[in-house]
Amino acid sequence: MPAPRLRSRSLRKVHRKVPGGRTSLHHKRKKPKAPRCGNCGAVLKGIPREFPFRARKMAKTMKRPERPYGGVLCSRCMRQEMVNRFRQ
Amino acid sequence: MTIEIGRLCVKIAGRDAGKKCVIIDILDDHYVMIDGETRRRRCNILHLEPLSQSLKVEKDATHGDVARALKEIGIEARATKPKPATQKPKAKRKTPEQLRVQKEEKKKLLGTVKPKKKEEKSEAKESTLEEKAGLAEEKKESASEAKSSEKKETKPKAAKVKSAKKPNLS
Repeated sequence: MPAPRLRSRSLRKVHRKVPGGRTSLHHKRKKPKAPRCGNCGAVLKGIPREFPFRARKMAKTMKRPERPYGGVLCSRCMRQEMVNRFRQ
Repeated sequence: MTIEIGRLCVKIAGRDAGKKCVIIDILDDHYVMIDGETRRRRCNILHLEPLSQSLKVEKDATHGDVARALKEIGIEARATKPKPATQKPKAKRKTPEQLRVQKEEKKKLLGTVKPKKKEEKSEAKESTLEEKAGLAEEKKESASEAKSSEKKETKPKAAKVKSAKKPNLS
């Protein structure tokens, strides 16, 4: 039986092959959910799925695409937004 | 709205999205050259939204021409900072006077540093040689003395033996 604190489902279980040859169960923290487009809800690309403490260490350019609405809208929605703005 | 040289467009995709530009050149079915608020660059037609306006711009117009044409409409083109002209450092030949000074300095250095070492070495060598020579002489002397002493010792013995043997035989 695992330790009581590991019996919670807030940790994810990972099967790891240890040097002895057997597989042991490791308990790890779950990663945060991937960010999504504010318009269509698609998973945003180019954004690291990391904890804030780890993302804070990253450069700004590593954390979102370098374009208008980068990290907020997906590229397709952003293009549509730009077209709508100028088309009459 | 057709894609043609001088057509005002809006860039839709990428980091220049939402910025206005003018088509300068048509490269092929898919790509055009653009300039204006955006960087001067090659661009896919799919990444452009053509507007109703078109400007009088020649093919392959300079950034200055495009900027002037855009200013009439009230759009300010991207200002590229002119790079300060930097001159490469040229390798200069030394004048004969400078070379003379250099030589003199070298001579001075040679006079101060190197000969000392040589003198020391030569002295050391001489001393060692002398010592060696002296030692060798001493050795020779001792060897000759030893030899002579041995000879001296052997000769009388032989004489003694001879002298001793002779009477017996007789």
